[in-house]
Amino acid sequence: MKAKAPLNCYFNHERIVPAVFLVLSFLAWQISGLTGSFVLNQVITRFIRDGLLVLALIIPVVAGMGLNFSITVGAMAIQTSLLLVIAYNIEGVPGILLVMVIGIFLSVLLGYVLGRILNRVKGKEMITTIIIGFFVNSIYQLIFLVGFGTVIPVFNQEIILTRGIGVRNTVDLGMYRNTIDKLWLFSIGEIQIPLFMILIVLLFAGGIYYILHTRFGRQVQAVGSAAETCAVLGIDTDRVRIKVMILSTVLAALGQFIYLQNIGMFDVYTAHLNTGIISCAALLAGGASIKSAKVRQALLGIFLFHTLFIVSPQAGQHLFRNAALGEYFRSFVAYGTIALALIVNVGNENRPIQRK
Amino acid sequence: MENILQISHLNKSYNGIPALKNVNLSVRAGEIHGLVGANGSGKTTLMNILFGQPVIHETGGYQGEIAFAGRRIEFKNCSQAISCGIGMVHQEFALIPDLTVAENIKLGREHTLAFTDRLLGRQFSYIDNRHDRASSLQALRKLGIELDPDIKIMDLSINLKQFVEIAREIDRTDLRLLILDEPTAVLSQDNSWMLLEILREMSGRGIGILFISHRLEEIQAVCDRVSVLRDGELVARYEKNHIHINQLARDMIGHSVIKAAAGKRKIEARPLITFRKFSVAMPGEEIKNLDLNVYEGEIIGLTSLPGHGKLALGYGMMGLYPVAGEVWFNNERIVRMDAMDNIVKGIYALPDDRQGLGILADQSLENNIVFTANQAKNMFSRSSLFPFLSMLDHRRTVPHVEKMVQDFDIKCASFKQKVRELSGGNQQKVCIARALTAEPRLLFVAEPTRGVDISAREKILSMLIEINRTRNMTIVFASSELDELQRVCDRIAVMVQGKIFKILSPDSPEVDFALALSGETGMDDDV
Amino acid sequence: MPWRCQGKQGWTMMFNNLIKLPQLIISVFLLVLIAVAWLLQMDMATLFNESLVKLVMNGVLVMSLIPMLNAGVGLNFGLPVGIIGGLLGMCLAVNFRMTGFYGFCMALLFSLAICAALGFIYGLILNRVKGREEIAGTFIGFSFIPFMNFFWTLVPFQNREMLYPIGGQGLRPKISLENYFNHILDNFCVIRLGDLEIPAGLLAFFALLGLFLYWYFHTKVGRAIIATGENEAFSKLSGINISRTRLTAVIISTVIAGVGICVYTQSYGFIQLYDEPLSMAFPAISAILIGGSTGKRAFVFEAVLGTYLLQSIYLLTVPVANQLLIPELTEILRSFITYGIILYALLVRETRRDCR
Repeated sequence: MKAKAPLNCYFNHERIVPAVFLVLSFLAWQISGLTGSFVLNQVITRFIRDGLLVLALIIPVVAGMGLNFSITVGAMAIQTSLLLVIAYNIEGVPGILLVMVIGIFLSVLLGYVLGRILNRVKGKEMITTIIIGFFVNSIYQLIFLVGFGTVIPVFNQEIILTRGIGVRNTVDLGMYRNTIDKLWLFSIGEIQIPLFMILIVLLFAGGIYYILHTRFGRQVQAVGSAAETCAVLGIDTDRVRIKVMILSTVLAALGQFIYLQNIGMFDVYTAHLNTGIISCAALLAGGASIKSAKVRQALLGIFLFHTLFIVSPQAGQHLFRNAALGEYFRSFVAYGTIALALIVNVGNENRPIQRK
Repeated sequence: MENILQISHLNKSYNGIPALKNVNLSVRAGEIHGLVGANGSGKTTLMNILFGQPVIHETGGYQGEIAFAGRRIEFKNCSQAISCGIGMVHQEFALIPDLTVAENIKLGREHTLAFTDRLLGRQFSYIDNRHDRASSLQALRKLGIELDPDIKIMDLSINLKQFVEIAREIDRTDLRLLILDEPTAVLSQDNSWMLLEILREMSGRGIGILFISHRLEEIQAVCDRVSVLRDGELVARYEKNHIHINQLARDMIGHSVIKAAAGKRKIEARPLITFRKFSVAMPGEEIKNLDLNVYEGEIIGLTSLPGHGKLALGYGMMGLYPVAGEVWFNNERIVRMDAMDNIVKGIYALPDDRQGLGILADQSLENNIVFTANQAKNMFSRSSLFPFLSMLDHRRTVPHVEKMVQDFDIKCASFKQKVRELSGGNQQKVCIARALTAEPRLLFVAEPTRGVDISAREKILSMLIEINRTRNMTIVFASSELDELQRVCDRIAVMVQGKIFKILSPDSPEVDFALALSGETGMDDDV
Repeated sequence: MPWRCQGKQGWTMMFNNLIKLPQLIISVFLLVLIAVAWLLQMDMATLFNESLVKLVMNGVLVMSLIPMLNAGVGLNFGLPVGIIGGLLGMCLAVNFRMTGFYGFCMALLFSLAICAALGFIYGLILNRVKGREEIAGTFIGFSFIPFMNFFWTLVPFQNREMLYPIGGQGLRPKISLENYFNHILDNFCVIRLGDLEIPAGLLAFFALLGLFLYWYFHTKVGRAIIATGENEAFSKLSGINISRTRLTAVIISTVIAGVGICVYTQSYGFIQLYDEPLSMAFPAISAILIGGSTGKRAFVFEAVLGTYLLQSIYLLTVPVANQLLIPELTEILRSFITYGIILYALLVRETRRDCR
C-alpha cells in the first residue's frame, strides 16, 4: 500500500527543479558581481509585480487544464479598462476604482468565454490558450492602434499618436503612480520592504489556498483528477471549469494592475506579451508540474526564477563580455523550463497507457 | 411496506433498437431486490435511467413512468438523482484517484466550518478535514475495514477500492435507495458475505436496495425478491424462499432454438497453439495464468462475463498489451510478442472494437482489405528496388477485392467507397476479408456480431464456418453471445477471472453455461 | 453501436460543410482586397507576379507540415527546429563562399543532413509526448531559438560578410545573399508574357516537391504513415511499428522545413538569424488550415491553395493599409487572420474528435 519508495520522495521534480534553479541562480549571481542587496531589492519588486499573475495559474493546473497561457487575456482586460479610463480623463481614486470595476467585469466576461472554449478542446487546453492569447492580442491591437481615434472618440489627446489615430506606445501612469506602492515602506539597511504590497500578495496566496480547501476547491481537484467520473458523482465538470477560468482571468487582471502601477509606465502593446510564459516558467521553477501546483510552489518559484532572471544578463556580461548571451540564457531558461516540464510530465503520463 | 421505487411500463431504445421493453419493477422500502440478467439484457440501461446518467437523456430519453417515494421523477443528470437520496455503487468505481480515501468518501458532503458557512456560503466554506476523516473512518469500520483515510485512492488495491466505493454510500444519511452494480465481483468470499450482512442491516433501517450480481448464490441468500431480465424484458420474478439457482440460470439464458449451423465434430488433432501460464495485462480485461490448447482446424469459443478476459487473448497475441508466460505456436516458442512477426508466422487478430481498432474509416474498401497483407507480407506490391517504397499494384488488388466483395456479399457502391459509409455488418465483413487476405493459419475473432443486424449476423457466422472448413483456418472465437458460439464452435471455453474455468461441449445444457459463467461449480463435478 | 455510428456520420457531414466556412470568408476577403487594389489603380500584373513568388517562397514551409499531420503527430508548432537546421545549412554554404547554383545546392545538402539529425531527436521527443505533441512542439521550438542564439553568437565562422562589422560578436542578424545565391530560383527560367513574369524554374521546383510528397504517400511506407495517423491502434494490430513510422514522418517534415527556409531565404535575399524563426510556424499552419485541412490529414493541394490565399492577402494588405495611412494595420490583420484560423481549426477539430 505504500506506493512510493522513500528515495523517490527526495528525487522528484518537486525538489529537483527548485534545487537546480537555486544552484543556477546562486552561480549566476556570483558571476554577475551584483550586490546581494540589489538583487534582493529587485526580487522583492518582482515578487510584488508578478506574484498575482503566477498565483492565477494555480487553480487551472489543479483543475487539470494545464498551464493557462491565456492569463494574458486577463492582463489585456485590465489594460483595456485602464486605457478607457485614461482616455476619458478620470483621475485619482475614483479612476483606480473604475479601472478595477471595468477590468473585473471584462475579465469575468472573457473568462467565461475562455471557459466555454476550453470545454470544447478538452485535452488540448494549453495549445489553445497560447493561440487565444495571440488572437486576443491582435484584437487588442486592432482596437487601440486602429479603433482609437477613428471609431472610438478619445478626450485625452496626450495618449494619442500625432496622426490622430491609435494610442501611443507608452502611456504614463503618473496620475496613479505610487498610490499604494509606498504604503508601509520599511528599510532594513539597503533593503526596502514595501510591507503593504507584500501582504497583498500573501493575502491573495492565502485566498487561493483557502479556495482549494473549500468544497469548490475539492470539486476542482476532482475534476482535475478524473473528469469523467465526476459526472457520475454529481459534479458538473463543465461548470467547474468555466468558474476556474473566470477566477484565473480575474486574478490575472488584478495581477497585471499591480504590475503596471508598480512600474508606473505602461507599454501599451508589449506589457502583457510575456506575462503568460514568464509566469508559467516561474510556477514550474517552484516545483509545480502541469498536473499539480501548490501555493508555496508558486511563491518559491517567483523568488528562484526572478533571481536568475535579474542576474543572468550581468553574468553573461562578466563571463563572455557579452550581455546579450545572458539575455539568451534567460529566455532559454524560461522556454526550456516549460518545454522540459511538458516532456517529463506527458512522458510519465503516457508510460502506463498502452493503447492510444 | 410502501414502494420506494415504482417503475411502470418503461421502454427505452437507442436509435430504434430497443434496450428495455415494458419493464415493471418495484422496490419496497427496506427490501433487498435482486436483479439478474445476462450480458446485454438491459441491466445497465435500467441503472443508467434510474441514476440519471446523461447518456439516456442525450439519446432521446425513455417512455414510461418512474415514481420515487411517491413522486414522479425524470432525472437529467446524476446530481438530481443523488439529491433525491438515490445512491449507487458503480461496478467500475466512481472514485477520484488523486484524492484520499476520506476525501472520496465525503466528496460533495464535506463537513465545513460553521463560521465560514455563514460568511461565504456552502460552496466556499472551509472544509473540516478532521471531522471528515473521523466520519469516514466510522463508515469504513462499519464494513469491518481498518484503512488509513489519508491514503490516495490510486495507491489502493482493487478490493479496497470496492470498500471505499461502498463506504461512500453507507456514509450518506439521506440515502433512501441504494443501487449496487456487481459489488462483490472483485471481493473474496469472506468479504462478500460481510458486505451482504451490511446490506441486510441497511435494509433493516428502511433503505431500499437494488442488488445486481452475477453470483446467484448471493442473490439466493440475501434477496427478498429477485427479478430476471432477458433481452430487455422482465421474464420472471421470485419471492424469497422460491429462489433457485438453476431456475434463475435457465431464465437468464432462455430457451433459444439452436440452429445447428456447424456439423458436430470431435477434433483431437495436434495443438496448433498452446498457452502456458499466459497473462495479458489489458486493463479491465486481464488474463491471468491461462492454460489452453487450441487444436489445428477447430473453432474454439471463448466466453466470459465482461471483464473476465475473453477479449484480451487476441490483443495479447498482437503485442497490444504486455504479456507474460509461454506460447507455443506450431511447435515453436514465441518469445517476443510482435504483431509484425506474428502476422508473418500466420496469426491474426480481429478486434472487438470495430469502430475504434478494426477499420480505417476514411479510406476505401480496397485499401482496408489489402492493408495488412500488403504491409506485413508485401503482397499486392509492384516490384521495386526498395520494397518499402513500392506502390500498390491495382491490377492485382482489384480482382482480389472484387472476389471478396462477391464472396462475402459486401454491400457497397464501389470498392473505392469509404468504409465509414458502410453499415456495421458490412464493415465487419470488410474486417474479415482483410484478415483472410493476410492468409493466417490461426485467427482470433472477438465479438464479430456486435452491433450488426440479424441477416448480416447469419452471413458472418456462416463465413466463419466456411473459412474454417475450406481453408482449414483455426479460429478462436471470443463472444458474449452464447447461442452464436454454440452454433459455430467445436468446443466452448468459459473464462472466469482471467482463467479457463471450464471447457464445455456446445450441446451442453444452458444451465451448465450459466453456472460456469458465474463461476459456480455445477452440482456434482468439480474443476 | 449503430446509433453511435449514424450520429457520427451526421456530425462529420455537418463539419465537412462547416470547415469550408473559413475558406469562403478568406476568399471573399481576398476578392474585396483585389477590388480595392484595382480601384486604387495598383499594378495588377506586378501583384500577380509577386504572388507567384510568394506562393513558392512560403509554400515549401507549408508543405513541410504534411508528413507530420498525416502521421497523426499533429500540427507542427515546432517548425523552428527544421527552419534552424536550414539556416545552419545556408550559413555553412555562405561560410565556405559557395556561390550560384552550386552554393544553393550545397546549402540544401547541408540542410538535409542537419535537419535529418535534428528531426531524429525531435521525433524521439515527440514520441515521448504522444497526444500533446503540439504544445510540446511549440515550446521545443521556442526554447531551441535562444539556445541557437548562443551558437550564432559564438560560432567561429570566418566569412567577414557574415559577421558583425564592428563592436559586435558573432553572426549578423541579417546576412545578405547578394554575392551568393540571391533569387537563384526566382530568376531561373522566367517566362515573360507582356507584363506577366512567370517564374517557371521556381514553380517547377515547387511542383517537383509536391509530386514527391504525392508519390511518397502512395508508397508502402507512406500508406503506413497515413494509416497510423488515422487509426494508430489499427496500424499496430496490422504489425506496423508506430514509433518508427512517426519518427520517419517527423524527420521528413523537418527536412522539408529545412529546404523550405532555403527557398524562402533565396527569395527574401537575407539569412535571418536569432529570434526571426520564432513566429514562423503560425502563418504556415494557418495556411494549410485555410487550404481545407482539418488538422488531422492534409493533401498537397490544400497546402498550395491555402498558401496562395493567405500569401495573396498578406501581399495585398500592405499597399491597401498604406493608402489608409495606418501601416500597422497590415501586421495586425495578418496576425488576426493567422491566429483566428488556427483557433477556429482547433475548436472544430476537437469537437469532431468528441463525436468519435
